[in-house]
Amino acid sequence: MRKTLPLIAAFLSITSASANEPIKIGMSQPLTGDIAASGTYVANGAKVAVDVVNRSGGVLGRQIQLILEDNKSNPKEAVATAEKLLSGDKVPVLLGAWGSTLTLAIMPRLLDYKVPMIVETASSSKVTNSGNPWIFRISPPSSLEAKAFGETLLDKFNPAIKKADMLVVNNDWGRGAADEFTKLLRSKGIEIGAVERMTADATDLSAQLAKIKQAGGDTLFVTTSIEQLTLVLKQAQEQRLPQRIVSTGGATAPDQLIEQAGNAANGSYHIVFFTPWFLDAAPHAEVARTFVDEWKKKGYNAAGLTDGYRGYDGILTAVQAIKDAGKAEPEAIRQALWNVNVKGVNGDIKFTKVGPDGSESGQSIPSIFIVQIKDGKVIKP
Amino acid sequence: MTERNIALCLAAILAVLPFGVTNQYVLFTLTSAGILVIAAMSLNLLLGYAGQLSLGHVAFFGIGAYVSALFSLGFEFHYGAEEPIVVPALPVWIAFVLGICFAGVFGWIIGKLAFRVRGAFFVILTIGFAQVSRMVALNWVSLTNGPMALTNIPPLSFWLPGHGIVPIQGRMESYYVVLILGIIAYWILDRIVHSRVGRALVALRENEPLARSVGIRVTRYLVLATAISAAMAGGAGAMYAHYVRVIDPDVFMFIYTVTMVIMVMTGGKGTLLGPVVGGLIFGLLPELLRQLVRPELQLIIYGVAMILIVFFLPRGIVPALLKRPSSASNESKSARMNSEANT
Amino acid sequence: MDQLLQHVLNAVVLGGTYALLGIGLTLIFGVMKVANFTHGELYTFGAYMAYLLIGPLGLNFFLGLLIAVLLGVLLGAVIEYVLLRPLQGAHMDTVMLVMIGAWIALQNLELLTWGGVAKSVPQPFPTEPLVIGSVSVAPLRIFVLLAALVLLAVFYLILNRTKFGIAIRATFQDPDVSSLMGVKINQMFTLTFAIGSGLAAAAGALLAPVFVVIPIMGDLVTLKAFAVVILGGLGNIVGATIGGFILALAEEFGAGYIDSGYRDAIGFILIILVLLLKPQGLFAPRERTG
Repeated sequence: MRKTLPLIAAFLSITSASANEPIKIGMSQPLTGDIAASGTYVANGAKVAVDVVNRSGGVLGRQIQLILEDNKSNPKEAVATAEKLLSGDKVPVLLGAWGSTLTLAIMPRLLDYKVPMIVETASSSKVTNSGNPWIFRISPPSSLEAKAFGETLLDKFNPAIKKADMLVVNNDWGRGAADEFTKLLRSKGIEIGAVERMTADATDLSAQLAKIKQAGGDTLFVTTSIEQLTLVLKQAQEQRLPQRIVSTGGATAPDQLIEQAGNAANGSYHIVFFTPWFLDAAPHAEVARTFVDEWKKKGYNAAGLTDGYRGYDGILTAVQAIKDAGKAEPEAIRQALWNVNVKGVNGDIKFTKVGPDGSESGQSIPSIFIVQIKDGKVIKP
Repeated sequence: MTERNIALCLAAILAVLPFGVTNQYVLFTLTSAGILVIAAMSLNLLLGYAGQLSLGHVAFFGIGAYVSALFSLGFEFHYGAEEPIVVPALPVWIAFVLGICFAGVFGWIIGKLAFRVRGAFFVILTIGFAQVSRMVALNWVSLTNGPMALTNIPPLSFWLPGHGIVPIQGRMESYYVVLILGIIAYWILDRIVHSRVGRALVALRENEPLARSVGIRVTRYLVLATAISAAMAGGAGAMYAHYVRVIDPDVFMFIYTVTMVIMVMTGGKGTLLGPVVGGLIFGLLPELLRQLVRPELQLIIYGVAMILIVFFLPRGIVPALLKRPSSASNESKSARMNSEANT
Repeated sequence: MDQLLQHVLNAVVLGGTYALLGIGLTLIFGVMKVANFTHGELYTFGAYMAYLLIGPLGLNFFLGLLIAVLLGVLLGAVIEYVLLRPLQGAHMDTVMLVMIGAWIALQNLELLTWGGVAKSVPQPFPTEPLVIGSVSVAPLRIFVLLAALVLLAVFYLILNRTKFGIAIRATFQDPDVSSLMGVKINQMFTLTFAIGSGLAAAAGALLAPVFVVIPIMGDLVTLKAFAVVILGGLGNIVGATIGGFILALAEEFGAGYIDSGYRDAIGFILIILVLLLKPQGLFAPRERTG
């Protein structure tokens, strides 16, 4: 009986008016504005996934249609994209929205329209803690990242970290990372020196770096976008910063750093959530290889793989949920999301409940890796 | 048709529109355009009537948004080593009114300070105020929560006899609230513009030394206009905060000021209807373009559209529509006046 | 003490490019009374041209920079001819709106052409920093500072020693009288806008190898250039030069000793203080009713 019900539902939906219409998945990403580069990578990852799924027959016998909207890196526009997708296109599931601010802006709309959203990029704990039962996040908040770093990666540093400094972008992501990593490192008996901030569009970071140099730590944790990280590496070299640099947040594309920061990138460490250099080490090597091959086939920039996988995993998760639900309806998809176990590029995607009782949000616990750039190559430290 | 009649027709059309529209997204788009239209109308008082271009208008919008959001959520005010002042959450409509008041007071202070200078200096000073407001919102984390954003802001609510406090949550309700606020704002501006204050502002826009010489207390009127304009922009900001229900320092983004200026200038500055018409066009244009072309092209078209409107309708759309044959000579006269004012 | 010296050195290096940006903007404002919101886009254009010529096209670094600047001059002339000339005599606000439209269109044209991913410009200098005592600076930055100073010097010579410079200064003072004296105002405006744009493009091309090139890089630059100009007094060229260095020093020390989160607000706080406490400006004796 339990098996026949979804079958009947599937049958009914086939015979209904929307018989051969594709199933829509809505996506809100920044394609213009400050974070256009990364948003475009994530959107490309989603497009790749849609192609892969459709080629293998789609889901429930129907094709997937990705409706991608540009939120212009601006919260007001993010709300507009959500309204368009939810009330105009009537999508049964959303993917988005690159960053906590943009995601938080959309969240009240999910409550209004009762449609689930798979959050592929957002670090703030508020996303899952504010009692929104329509949120399912596959990226790690800063707290999870710091915890995983402490458990699995901290002992890979040789010589061990004794005193650390922080340089973070002045937004929720950077500040959250600074707080969580400070807490973690202190708990491991590591001293914290300078904690400096920079605005997201700042290009000259010499003042911050001069201060950090004086602070005299042995390791500098940096949390910011790839563009600003490139500048940090270059300018740290100019000022002969003695600290070893570790980037957090997984937003870095080490290949792009090697290309753009040159030998200034040498010796730096990067926390990443996907390691396209060592595909065999990926939790599901087969899935990762398909993703990388298809990405390259489309002619996308290889530097975008470490961002793009999030869009790919997001679509895989949505498709699995639609399949399990047996129909493309928001509430059914939400129920199904609680029970999915997706073999994603990053690893297993399955959701645990977090947040206030009765209106919990879903949080998947992603895998986390660290790589080092050495002599212009990405290596496992 | 006079401007007032057109405004009445437009209001009537907008009032019945929801009954003909089944797509909620259209209502949302109109509502969010409407909020910016109210802000643009307030900017028009300064830009169109007083002739002072403020490129920091978003500061008042943002202050209104933050004040209203904070009072409706409750907050702690840390001012030193002492215990912080704890402000409990207030009913939303009181917070809304406080947002308007605070923005008005800020407008008064900034007007007092900024009107020591004119022209381009005033423009850049106002940009400076907006940037500093944004930095304060970003860095004063104990009050504003900084970039971590204020979330779970309650929707606007009103007290209705017999119903108690009613939250305004649905698309349709929000649409009508914004429409009513817009009509109130329009009515207030209409009264001001046709009052002694309005005539004094226009007089000093056309010729400040002359206005001074006939005894108009120029700075006083300018400060008054700034305070009213700021209060109105603050109201729009507060409405925005309770409509979107999340705000962060991005509400101070320069692009919002630019959008307001575009709405006023393309619609026709110095006409009451200008910001409404310009606002509806430039509020709806991005959503229309969204359906048609890829993202980068949307913004290119947006920019080019601005340039074309200025080239072909230099005084804006509304004056071009209202133009009667006899006003041609007026136009050349005012063009000459403008070029004189420039030198 | 070491930190202090490093901050001063950083500020001087940064100040040179701020001065270039400020002078271009103040020149255009002084002569044409145009608040040029495309200034940052010319900076971006200079940077992308430097990338295109030196990167993919493989030109010599110095030749590439030079051509990038000349292309900036050309684009400036085109903008003036197409957008500003028809609007002569229009109200300042109207012109400003056109410039804002051009700014939005240009920025997204860059995004459309190059994509959002950052580009970096290869450079021939050694990446190992020069170390003087306890402070260090990259050779590239020294080159950028020197190039900026040379450009500033050349610009002063043109302004003070050539017929064109005298004509510009005359137009500055009084366009009507100077046109009566035989100055061709139209040509003058095109040249002024082209040179001002060229200076912005030069700043962009010089800084492209120091930083990375992205479509939105011009936004902050436009605001900074306005800050420099206000500090120095609108239309005051010597003032803009000094203003550039003052802004750099204020930012560097504000970030170094007060709070780095407020770094980009410091310039504006400074402007507000200047305009409020000394409304006649730091260097301009004239009344501030630009």
